[in-house]
Amino acid sequence: MPEPILEVRDLTVHFYTYAGIVKAIEKVSFDVYKGETFALVGETGCGKSVTSRALTQLIESPGRIVGGKVIYHRDDGSTVDLLRLKEEEIREIRGKEIAYIFQDPHASLDPLYTVGYQIAEAMVVHGTVKDWKEGFKRAVDILRRVLIPDPESRVKNYPHELSGGMKQRVVIGIGVSNNPRILIADEPTTALDVTVQAQILDLMNKLKEEYKTTVILITHNMGVVAEMADRVAVMYAGKIVEIGSVDQIFKNPLHPYTQGLLKAVPNPLARIEKLETIPGTVPNLITPPSGCRFHPRCPRVMGICKEEVPKLKEMEPGHFVACHLY
Amino acid sequence: MQEEYKKGILDRLADKFVDALGSFISLFKKDWKRRNRSKMEEWKLMLYALNRSPPGLIGLALVLVFVFLGIFGPMLSPWNYRFFPSLYNPDTYLAPPGSEFTLNVTELRNGQFVNYVTTIKFPLGADHYGRDLVSLILYGARVSFVISIVVIVLGVPLGIILGLIAGYYGGKIDELIMRITDMFLAFPALILAIAFSAVLPSRLQEFISSHEILKQLTLWLFALKPQDAGNLGKLLAVIFAMIIVWWPAYARITRGSTLTEKENLYVEAARAIGLSSWSIMFKHILPNIIGPILVYVTLDFGGVILMEAGLSFLGLGATPPIADWGRIVYDGSQYFPEKWWLVTFSGFMIMLVALGWNLLGDTLRDILDPKTRRSIEFKVKKAKQMEEGEENA
Repeated sequence: MPEPILEVRDLTVHFYTYAGIVKAIEKVSFDVYKGETFALVGETGCGKSVTSRALTQLIESPGRIVGGKVIYHRDDGSTVDLLRLKEEEIREIRGKEIAYIFQDPHASLDPLYTVGYQIAEAMVVHGTVKDWKEGFKRAVDILRRVLIPDPESRVKNYPHELSGGMKQRVVIGIGVSNNPRILIADEPTTALDVTVQAQILDLMNKLKEEYKTTVILITHNMGVVAEMADRVAVMYAGKIVEIGSVDQIFKNPLHPYTQGLLKAVPNPLARIEKLETIPGTVPNLITPPSGCRFHPRCPRVMGICKEEVPKLKEMEPGHFVACHLY
Repeated sequence: MQEEYKKGILDRLADKFVDALGSFISLFKKDWKRRNRSKMEEWKLMLYALNRSPPGLIGLALVLVFVFLGIFGPMLSPWNYRFFPSLYNPDTYLAPPGSEFTLNVTELRNGQFVNYVTTIKFPLGADHYGRDLVSLILYGARVSFVISIVVIVLGVPLGIILGLIAGYYGGKIDELIMRITDMFLAFPALILAIAFSAVLPSRLQEFISSHEILKQLTLWLFALKPQDAGNLGKLLAVIFAMIIVWWPAYARITRGSTLTEKENLYVEAARAIGLSSWSIMFKHILPNIIGPILVYVTLDFGGVILMEAGLSFLGLGATPPIADWGRIVYDGSQYFPEKWWLVTFSGFMIMLVALGWNLLGDTLRDILDPKTRRSIEFKVKKAKQMEEGEENA
């Protein structure tokens, strides 16, 4: 039986905008097990990033975490609800036990400081190193570990002196600098070109083995999911529609949305006349569709779909789906 | 065209200056000069760009002269501002520029009356006490200089800190700070400053009189004689009044820049590694937005000096016999235009200094903004390459 490290229950985040209340994520529940790579997939605006940020209360005004629990199992076996922690307490966990890697490496480094400084800073805040001097020394090791050539001189470079791939390595270096137990990677390869993407994914797999880190991977790229993930949760319009192992999701997708998503990935071996798409667009989350949120776009819509919100049902061991078809 | 971009004396001077600065920093930080070559090159290019801008150079020269006078003026002054020649020779009353008089002075020194004869020259004329206008302007430079520095040094950081807090936290804190700011901005700055400098003096005078060290320090800063300790209250009131009206503009600017800057991913990344709000604000946001604020500060120095002169002209602030440019203009205005020199020369000084800061600020804005600087730098670089080519040939 795999041991959970994070249990998310009924997580709900709303954004209070002038246009109305945006129900960005609604009653999202999932477990993340120790040592696995858990992927959150879905199209743009479905609430993947909001979910990941809500885990450590990184939601900024006008957003607010309205309800739910995030049970975190600490190293010593005790559990804590991350959403109930005070600002100072959650700050201890951010970056030290739960670290983030953000989407755009060009923007996630402060242009005014050297990369060495920024890596050292992450360790100095949490007291992992005793002073800045040791921090800079450790920063060189970290750069070497994320496979940056000539780390001794690179450590003194400013972000603008590095290429996109190198910057993302630095960002990953900052992420792993404190040996976090959970690493949340929010679309880590989206801003990079394809050859560099493969390198970065390799590096992340390697570091994961090395540090025994649990990875939560957020992406819209099904290829990345197949390459990296152990288990997958598919999100649509702020709700999880299907959870399962990577094999279950790819070989036996149950939810019509998952099926559509997989069909939309072109097969390089087949001759393609026309790319498959899912008709329609992501619904407006201020007034989400009644019942199942996917029903206006669903090819197999039934009467009940408009009235009742489907619950997650376990179809086979570990494979859950929220759909009235089953 | 080639002539235009050749390195002139000023550019060589800039090279020397930056090199010397680099060597100086290297004294404290090992190898700084070697490691920061590109930074020094950048500084040199900035100075070249400044050299290509005549208004900027004029502004810089005016500001340097003002700073020099502000620091050394009272020491260079031929006559003490509390020496009243009209007591000894009534003819010195409002003496015209270029005149010269003999004084038969009787002074109390160490409890004894001393008698001596001396001559006094008035290159720029004399005021109604027969005081030399050159000396008054030199003493006045110190007063303007200290007031402008104090107002900027206290008022600007206050505005920046409040603006950062308002912009970063947002929500209710933002509303509270910005509505207070709006209240201050709702009144014309000069009117508000007049109100404050009219209300504050007696309290400040009490305060300063009961703190001997503070009193001595203030007297020393303004280069005043101990007899003027009783007039400090009004002088300080003007400073306080100006700080009170000066911070809201900076709170506004800083809040605006903070709002855009905090949307950047690196701010969120800093939060995600567990940094506290204060270190994010002061270590990551502030350094990224300080450039435009600094330019605004240079432009504002002139504004502070103008407003201070304006308040003194209205009879607030420095009281006679303290020498203050605005006050000299006010006193002189009663004899204008027959005795034109008082108003003209001190008014001219106010104008030159305000002009200097404005020209410098304008040019700095162009130089510090990478977008406008590039075009200038491009020309300079081309000139450099041409020069190197000539040397090789």
